[in-house]
Amino acid sequence: MSKRLAEFIDGFVVPLLGADDLHIGAPVRPSDFHELLAEVHTLRNGPVPQLRLARAQQLLADPGLPDPDGEELALWVGLYNVLALDHPERERVWARSVTWQRVEQAARYWLQLSHPSNFEAALVRHISVGAFVDLMRRDQILSGPEGEQRYVGQEVPRRRLRWAVPGALSVRDERIPWWTSTHAPEPERLLSDVLWASPMTCLLRPRQAPPGWNPLTAAAYLQERAFARVVCHQWAASRNWIEIGGAVLGALLFTLTGRPTQDPEPRPAEPRPTRGRSGRGTGRPSTDQGAIAAIAALPATPIDAGPADVAALIGALIHVHFLRVLEFGARLGVAPTSRDRPVQMFLALPLLLPNLVDVLGEPLPGDASAGFDGQVQRRWTEYVEHLGELIPRSVVENLVATLVPRVVKAASA
Amino acid sequence: MASNLLEPIAAGQTRFHMQGVAPDGRGIAVGRETLLVFPSLDRLVAFLGAYSEECSLDDLIPSLTLERARRDGGGQALLLRCAGGDSYALDRLGRMATAVHGQLFTGSGTVFVRYRDRFAPFGYDLSGPAGRAPPPRAAGTPAGAVLLAEEVLVVDHDYQARYRATDHLDPVELIQRLQLRAVPLPPGGLGESPDLCGLHDLALVLVAPGLSDRVLAYLWGNQVAMAGVRVALAGERRASLLLRLRQPSGQVLSVLHGIPGVELLVPVSPRAAVELGFRHPIHLASASSCLPGDEMYLFRGRVARVERLEGAPQFIDGSHLVVSRTRVASPGAVGEPGDARGVASTSLQVALRLRPAHGAREPRGALVPWEQAALLRKLVYLIPPTALAAARLAVLPQGMLVLTGSSLGGAGAGLAAGVGAAALIPLGTRIVEVAPGVLVPDGFELWPHVRPQLIRELLGLEASDHALFLGPGTDPLRLRPDHLIPLDAAMISRLELAVSEAPPSELLTRPEGAAAAIVNDPLGRFALWGFGRVDNAPIPATAGRELPQGHDD
Repeated sequence: MSKRLAEFIDGFVVPLLGADDLHIGAPVRPSDFHELLAEVHTLRNGPVPQLRLARAQQLLADPGLPDPDGEELALWVGLYNVLALDHPERERVWARSVTWQRVEQAARYWLQLSHPSNFEAALVRHISVGAFVDLMRRDQILSGPEGEQRYVGQEVPRRRLRWAVPGALSVRDERIPWWTSTHAPEPERLLSDVLWASPMTCLLRPRQAPPGWNPLTAAAYLQERAFARVVCHQWAASRNWIEIGGAVLGALLFTLTGRPTQDPEPRPAEPRPTRGRSGRGTGRPSTDQGAIAAIAALPATPIDAGPADVAALIGALIHVHFLRVLEFGARLGVAPTSRDRPVQMFLALPLLLPNLVDVLGEPLPGDASAGFDGQVQRRWTEYVEHLGELIPRSVVENLVATLVPRVVKAASA
Repeated sequence: MASNLLEPIAAGQTRFHMQGVAPDGRGIAVGRETLLVFPSLDRLVAFLGAYSEECSLDDLIPSLTLERARRDGGGQALLLRCAGGDSYALDRLGRMATAVHGQLFTGSGTVFVRYRDRFAPFGYDLSGPAGRAPPPRAAGTPAGAVLLAEEVLVVDHDYQARYRATDHLDPVELIQRLQLRAVPLPPGGLGESPDLCGLHDLALVLVAPGLSDRVLAYLWGNQVAMAGVRVALAGERRASLLLRLRQPSGQVLSVLHGIPGVELLVPVSPRAAVELGFRHPIHLASASSCLPGDEMYLFRGRVARVERLEGAPQFIDGSHLVVSRTRVASPGAVGEPGDARGVASTSLQVALRLRPAHGAREPRGALVPWEQAALLRKLVYLIPPTALAAARLAVLPQGMLVLTGSSLGGAGAGLAAGVGAAALIPLGTRIVEVAPGVLVPDGFELWPHVRPQLIRELLGLEASDHALFLGPGTDPLRLRPDHLIPLDAAMISRLELAVSEAPPSELLTRPEGAAAAIVNDPLGRFALWGFGRVDNAPIPATAGRELPQGHDD
């Protein structure tokens, strides 16, 4: 392994996958990437495979991961450059804005990967992108009589404290999630590219999915029984499980019918505010935002998804209801958030079970009348009846007309 | 009387077309629920006010629901639903509802019929059998009626109206938010009213913060029996003064009523008072359930606010509130004979002092000098855990006061009767308690013997304060609750966990959910060196799919 590859792996990839401090400096140049790519085969002997395996085992007990390849290296380099574009010292660099645009274009190029060929390839991408979405940033805030100054991802320089009166200045640390923090325009535009690179991450975090996301792109992975269990439990474990279900079902119905289930919310003012530093990279003009929105509104790439994939998604969403019923927490949490149209549709899904039972089966075996199964069966029946009282009839009839035929008739045909 | 929808009930009739209706003891058909329909909100408020004057709203509130409903065919109404009682209660409701242009119906669920009148003394029933046109969700409705869950159908002689509930009103919140109604005062002043407008026995006075001293001095000078408490009103930085006057005179009330910033409040119930000159639409004395909790409510009319005081105000006698600066200017300026409260009485004052005593008292604490801090540090290891948890430490210039029990609540009260840490610490001076929260060194007592509660008042101690006498000739120290910190937390030093140097392989054992952190390294001036193009040609528009070229420098 060359020195340059070792530096990149030790400074970025290993901390990213191992949840350590990762250091961001100058962006990786295309010529450097070619140099790294030539030695990617040496990664199979380093710590990276073990870290990937450990991270994958947080989802699956026995994941079979392929060796690191050039595609994964491109993903890493793209993620690194996204962070480099968000560096707080960009204004110090002697470069024109068009050069920063080249950095953005390079990052977008490396992030534009084809659809994963199989489940393992998708899992490998999720390992990196999932860790990237979870990234934290360690800021230091210098407080003094003149106000506060935030050092983004950096320590306060010693020169600021050298001549200060003792006790006049104080420094405190703050860890904030990077993904939801305020970014420069370029990394802000690249966030959707990051998520498009990993369909599995979008499936596990549907509320963060980019606009126009199609859940059927990852529905095939639900055929893996262990992964389907992971998805259902992760959705059900969230406090916002109803909104998650609504987001998935809303995206699915938009994909199937081409009509939004709800009026689009007004977008925030564009472009998003930067940190207010003068001389910070100006980035592209804001008209690009409109172009990106237009691209996102176009139909997605045709995905080879059939009725089995739709059924798998519907089954997973209904199973989330069942998991919440098992935890006694469903009935109380249902009422307050039932005004949103996709949410209402998600809550209405268990009411469709009589129409879908031939394809999806039932949550419990038919002879569950005694013991624990009997108790669960009673609670499930009571929950479904409660939903029947809560959900307007028109919502159920709408779903019976639009969603059920895509599962039942197509499956029987 | 021509009636198509309803038919009168005969005497002794026990079977009805209308479901949920049964005859009571007098044979009058009464439903499980009662529905009152009012055309507007002010009619509803008028009904509640009239009802609260005659009966107790506390009987009605538990089963009361208020809904704003829209009527099919246009129009809105306010629906009041409550549990159906016997026919006596319904007669009363009907009388009051009719007086305020409301209508009374009885029934259950979603269908209600007109209550009895003089043409049908036993009430009304649906004219048609229920099975003629059975609706799917509301059995017992007339033909053709299909009701939803939020709909209510009322049936009168010759019409039926369907109401769809659009909004629910909380009756308790509604009653608390009602605007007060102004009532006239006697033109010649409050003294003209025989009962002083309800202030004859008791009056509450809310005084703005800046006026409190002057108002207190005025009342003190007029010998008004008073007690007061400082209350923090919402949105005001300084606490106002709430005074309770016993049997005030009309002249005093007239003077107070004319002062801006001073509000006279008439107590209308043990937990509510309404500003003088205003009246609450509801008779609050019969509606204690409308004022939940143990808060006290002050309804202020001029500023249109409702002040909630946390808990019943604990009034303090007015003698402790007055700051008296009265001096005898000349011998002839002395007031009435026999009233010597304004005269300086220093000749009668005696000092409260410590003197040696021989009686044995239970130790409540120990004052450990700083020289013995190291010994105390070692003794902490020997104190039992329960005693250690209950002990409190106050850091004083004279040493460390370890307090393990007190007659006051709060710190260390749990161990007041048991053996505390102070009994186990053989260091320093033992401290005993001569009055609740008043601590003196062991072997001393306060002289003269005054009532224990008076000692606290003389020392000016607040509810949770302690006073510590260190010895004869020294001033006592006031220990506030924040001075007393738990002994275990104060003595046990903060633990620092050693950071192990994990080998790279141990990165794999990081807990699930741990996230990496970004550290931005310094960026050099030439960080983008190499991103420029060799030929300086512009990047094509489709550069998103094309890898930008670069060169090494």
